[in-house]
Amino acid sequence: MATALVIGAGLAGLAAAIRLAQAGWQTTLASKGLGGLPLSAGTVDVLGYAPALLGDPTGRVARPFETAAALAAHDPSHPYAAIGADRAEAAVGWLRDLLPELLTGDLKTNITLPTAVGALRPTCLVQPAMAAGDLAQNRSLAIVGPSQLKDFSPELCAANLARQTWQGRPLLATAYRIDLPARPDEADSPALAYARSLDQTAYQRRFAEAVKRRLKDEEAVGLPAVLGLRDRQAWLEVQESVGRPVFEIPLPPPSVPGLRLNDALTAAAQTAGVRLVLGSSVIGFAAAGRRLKSVTLRQAGRDQAWAADAFVYAPGGFESGALSLDAAGRLEERVFQLPLRGAGGSRLGGQETAADLGRLINADYWAEQRLFAAGVAVDQAMRPLDEGEAVFDNLHIAGGLLAGAVRWSEKSGEGIAVGSAAAAADAITGRR
Amino acid sequence: MSGQDSYEHNLLARASLDHCVKCTICETQCPVAAVTALFPGPKYVGPQAERYRQGQSVDRSLDYCSSCGTCTLVCPQGVKIAELNSVARAAMKKDHMPLRDRLISRTTLMGAAMRPVAPLANAALACRPLRVLAEAAVGVHRDAAMPTAQRQTFTAWQAKHQPPDGAGRRGTLVYFHGCAGNYFEVETSIKSVELLEHLGYGVLVPKQGCCGLPLQSNGLFDTARAWVRRLVAQLDKAPQDLVIVSSTTSCSGMLKHEAREILGVEDAALRAVGARTRDLCEFLLAEAERGELPLDFAPLDLTVPYHAPCQLRGHGLGTPAVQLLRLIPGLTVVESGAVCCGIAGTYGLKKEKYAIAQAVGQPLFDKVKEVAGDLAVCDSETCRWQIEKACGVRAVHPVWLLHKAYGLS
Repeated sequence: MATALVIGAGLAGLAAAIRLAQAGWQTTLASKGLGGLPLSAGTVDVLGYAPALLGDPTGRVARPFETAAALAAHDPSHPYAAIGADRAEAAVGWLRDLLPELLTGDLKTNITLPTAVGALRPTCLVQPAMAAGDLAQNRSLAIVGPSQLKDFSPELCAANLARQTWQGRPLLATAYRIDLPARPDEADSPALAYARSLDQTAYQRRFAEAVKRRLKDEEAVGLPAVLGLRDRQAWLEVQESVGRPVFEIPLPPPSVPGLRLNDALTAAAQTAGVRLVLGSSVIGFAAAGRRLKSVTLRQAGRDQAWAADAFVYAPGGFESGALSLDAAGRLEERVFQLPLRGAGGSRLGGQETAADLGRLINADYWAEQRLFAAGVAVDQAMRPLDEGEAVFDNLHIAGGLLAGAVRWSEKSGEGIAVGSAAAAADAITGRR
Repeated sequence: MSGQDSYEHNLLARASLDHCVKCTICETQCPVAAVTALFPGPKYVGPQAERYRQGQSVDRSLDYCSSCGTCTLVCPQGVKIAELNSVARAAMKKDHMPLRDRLISRTTLMGAAMRPVAPLANAALACRPLRVLAEAAVGVHRDAAMPTAQRQTFTAWQAKHQPPDGAGRRGTLVYFHGCAGNYFEVETSIKSVELLEHLGYGVLVPKQGCCGLPLQSNGLFDTARAWVRRLVAQLDKAPQDLVIVSSTTSCSGMLKHEAREILGVEDAALRAVGARTRDLCEFLLAEAERGELPLDFAPLDLTVPYHAPCQLRGHGLGTPAVQLLRLIPGLTVVESGAVCCGIAGTYGLKKEKYAIAQAVGQPLFDKVKEVAGDLAVCDSETCRWQIEKACGVRAVHPVWLLHKAYGLS
């Protein structure tokens, strides 16, 4: 049986591994630790903002894949150009169908959700527990949270929402607090402690009754995203007791919706037959010409060469340490020393000069930070390119390591991750 | 040697501290913090509290860490969280080590004392009034799972054992049985040797003592260091180019990494022994992947739950037993998906931690009861005792099923 090794346990790595295993490849996923999903909002962004392309000051994207196609045509160095907006759409649809309990959305249009600080955030797929937060459905909102939850201020969220308009009409939002500790006598609980309590039926009722008592005539109720970790119906129980639509608002990490997504994808990988090898980081490789033979995994007690027919490298970017920029201005990809490109396909890597760094790092915090578009340029099979040639024929890149997009400011991280993972896996298995 | 418990000495773990980005992934996966507010979580007592320690911890919640190692395993940044916490706890307990912790960390002593009077010892451990007394006197919980003493040790069996013809045709291995494998899990050790001989290996069993792991997890670092060094010297009595195979996954983990990463034992002999050591299922799966494992298994018409112990996952190998057992026709292996059984060596025996350990293990116990007929599979002995006691099933090492499928039992 043909063998594949996927490196990285984030959304891109898990998606690539599941797809390879489903296609009949004997697949191993190796990772230093867990991936970034538990830190994510648990939604699937495809493209939220494209101000340069749309010529609209907000830059907010309504039709994500349509605009991704336009963006790819406008900027051939953007990851969506190599992936293809149609392939990305099929891949995001595949992910939604893989996790029907956890992801919902029509793929065609973005949904706009309130954030924990009361900003408005466009995204493509959301968890069912968040769906009633869609401002197109409800705009008179009660924002309710327990006083003992340390990462959520209903007042901050509601006050900021109430300062804004949505499609020309003002948003109405009122803050309420409930007095209900996650565990007896706990004064400042993390979200996870609430989520674990909300896995229990009796607590779901107590929570819902406390919320219900505070409400006036609001259309929908925004609650911190703590409505159950394992019990995927917890939010429905709460909604039923509250008696009107409720929606979760994602919180800072650790994110309960992100953990749900991580747990569900990890379980799906195991079901598909993926061998998960945690606690082993990649420290080197062996190749013959353009063929990658093995990577070296650092395991307890020794380093071990792990051979495979094909490899997917999905380690993330700067946030995981896969890309690094040291104090001397050396920018590198740490395992394969792959050639790096920046925004617009500009050449990076090696020793950056002070002037180069000045262009990459903006002293204005809110301005575009082009450094974070740095990464690896790829062909349509997601193979890393050097001067237009694949560096290795059987190494494929997915996710945050790809060059050409500042994923969090344009809100494209998950779409790029899933799209590139599917493109990489399909190039390996020969599926189109 | 003393002075090494000071928190500065463990440079390896300390050097990883600055990599902590406070992402809290370790806190979400910690099985203890999930069930009790007494333990605030690995980041809180680890990378965060470390800044306030001048040798001594500022609070004692650290003692509720079970040392399962899950935090280190899941950390995306490579921070040695569990290792830092083990070192800090040893420093914290140094001046007031409970007698109980000194006693329960000496598996060899316990095994040697119980073996000559095995039926009596087993009866005593099953006797409620005696256990209530022991709980009051020593602090070992009355309901905690205890091993079953055997009349014959593995080494006594080995001394009389005649290898079959052909054992040795594929080379020679060193077998590391561990103390539980000598006194309590004798059948697992015998089956391991018989299986390796069936595959054509000669098996050497040098005299071997305790690796010091229970001492280490109770904070008795000086003795643990002496014991692991002694074990390394004992294993080195066999030719030093041979692979060492072990059916005791936590003790082989001690040789591979924990003695270095937690105790700070830094010597070439330990490194070399660690690099030659293979968990039994790791070794067999590598044979299978090279196409050298005979696949003439008799079908086993069984569905079994399999639990990957925390200590095995710490090897960074994944779960080789699952891949291996799936080669047996008819056998369905259902992974528990649970983080920890709760026992964590000796943690779950302790009076004040017993209830926490049971709560930690509950998702596993539920899964085992859902899947198992009367058999569960797990690589680590203390976890098997915990599963047996909590679920009322027989829990065996994966080698039992392989041994049976090869027609050896």
